[in-house]
Amino acid sequence: MSTIRPGSPTSYWLAVPAAAWMLAAVVVPTLLLLWVSFWGGRAFSTASPLTFDNYIRFFSNGAYLGLVLSTFGQAALLMAITGTLGYSIAYFLVVKLQSARWRTALFLAFVIPFWTSTLIRAIAWVPFLGVNGVINQALIFLGLTSAPIEAFLYSMAGITMAQVSLYTMLAAGPVVYMLNTIPPALREAAMTLKATPFTVWRRIIFPLTLPGVVIGQVLVFLNVMADFATVATIGGNKHALLGNLVLNFYEGSQLRFASVVAVLLMVCMLAGVALALRVVDIRKLGA
Amino acid sequence: MPEGPLLTQLDLELRGIRKRYGSFTAVDGVSLEVGKGQFVCLLGPSGCGKTTTLRCIAGLEEPDDGDILIGGREVTGDPPWKRDIAMMFQDFALFPHMSVAKQIGFGLEMQGRPRAEIEARVREVLASFEILPLADRRPASLSGGQKQRVALARAMVTEPRILLLDEPIGALDYSLRETVMLELKLLQQRSGISFIWVTHDQNEAFSLGDLVVVMNHARIEQQGPPEEILARPRTPFVAGFVQGNNVFRGKAGAIEAGLLRIVTEVGEFLVPAGAHTAAPGALVSFSVRAERIIDQPDAAVRNRVTGRCTAVEFFGAVRRHVLELADGSLLKYDQFGALAPRFVTGQVVDLGWRAEDAVLHAP
Repeated sequence: MSTIRPGSPTSYWLAVPAAAWMLAAVVVPTLLLLWVSFWGGRAFSTASPLTFDNYIRFFSNGAYLGLVLSTFGQAALLMAITGTLGYSIAYFLVVKLQSARWRTALFLAFVIPFWTSTLIRAIAWVPFLGVNGVINQALIFLGLTSAPIEAFLYSMAGITMAQVSLYTMLAAGPVVYMLNTIPPALREAAMTLKATPFTVWRRIIFPLTLPGVVIGQVLVFLNVMADFATVATIGGNKHALLGNLVLNFYEGSQLRFASVVAVLLMVCMLAGVALALRVVDIRKLGA
Repeated sequence: MPEGPLLTQLDLELRGIRKRYGSFTAVDGVSLEVGKGQFVCLLGPSGCGKTTTLRCIAGLEEPDDGDILIGGREVTGDPPWKRDIAMMFQDFALFPHMSVAKQIGFGLEMQGRPRAEIEARVREVLASFEILPLADRRPASLSGGQKQRVALARAMVTEPRILLLDEPIGALDYSLRETVMLELKLLQQRSGISFIWVTHDQNEAFSLGDLVVVMNHARIEQQGPPEEILARPRTPFVAGFVQGNNVFRGKAGAIEAGLLRIVTEVGEFLVPAGAHTAAPGALVSFSVRAERIIDQPDAAVRNRVTGRCTAVEFFGAVRRHVLELADGSLLKYDQFGALAPRFVTGQVVDLGWRAEDAVLHAP
């Protein structure tokens, strides 16, 4: 058996299968999307002239711009909620729980629901949020409301509730990882140097977990920006974000517009990631 | 060293500290008094409770029972940040995201000192620890010895009443330790801060400590100046744990002229009885230091054994001969000076020791 040395010409062949797959499944389709989004004229053909017409029409429509804003708003809201919730959960699991057995049990309870697909979990919220759903029945039973609250299902509140449950783990996971890399002695050392628990967190723990927080925020941002399934199932036809707009245009065979929105969505997401990388060098993680 | 009236106020007092984890007792009734500016070494094998005791003093563990007084003030339930202590951790516990200067200033920041004072004080400390060039470096880029200095500077800069040190030089190269030990001893004497130093290394404990506290199985076996612990081990554990002791076990016989006769597997010996009161036939133990063993004893030496030399070890200042006695137990005989070995392996020799050189252990 011969050895493939790192950096040798042969070693590059190892990258070929993955590279070929990425090229065919990601790079080429993305370039196609980009190309189609610039197609002008009336006919939908490869012979179309390349123009900015599609983009101009998109940006001159106030409703579409409003959708871009509300998508960003939804992403920001989710980042704030899942960030806070996820950090608290991570901190509790890693720092507060003393028993290793409980930690494993709760961590599994937390993670196992994520083994099912996002779509299934989104649909599972419908019986909870509906007019005769679990939440309303519980509220009526407890006497907290006399008539069922309709605002849960087919509303942004319902969408947000479902998305929080879907994406909190994405925010918590990287923080759990970062918290685990912090030796308990650091916290103790800070305390013997007269730092109170909150100061220990603010000056020692939080800075050391910041990369995890940022990565979690990036994951939540990307997922909310791209989420159309939750919005479609929980929001019915009443609510839409950019992702749903792509789907709408696609179903209406307006592929040029679908491409425009898809490209814009991609640009927004890339910008978000670029911003995050300016805050934290993800490549230095674990170093 | 401050003496006399200053010693009346203790830096630290432990009264019957007890700490249990489930069914495991980590510390079982430890009491200790540390005078002003003393260097105390907690010595014992791993799991003996020395680190738990230290953590109780720091406030990182809360004892189930007992009182802790620092500078005469009861602090038993207080958290670490309310105690007049600083601590140096085994792996130094440096903050990876802070520069050396920031790190050393952290304790002063927590005390709410003004920024200008912190900067001046940090530079002063960096200079006195000879780490000024490291001021802007992060811990990851420091060597073990440099980390040790930074950790020490970080703890000392706050000028606590007591500095707690958990195996502070255990992570250093062996060649560095001797130098660092001397530096720390001098530093402790200059600063007047009490050091509570946890170690499993008796060389550290005996060369540094004003007071050595030997612990085993969650209890204090013996505490006293190093000379006393070396010369007069109080229990068979201490005698066995401290290097260079030969421990014998046997049955007590009669006391004649202040000497207790002890019958063992390898013969009968006379040991100063002291305050010994146990009935004849009781199981007792005594020890005699390896350097007190006499080669070819004359008739006046009444404690005698015969052994076969099984090994000769060379420790630099000491050459140790290990001899096997009639019952298979080993006897150590130390010879000072780098002389040629007294015996060769396999040789059968007569050895002995004077009765007054043996130490009877507490039952």
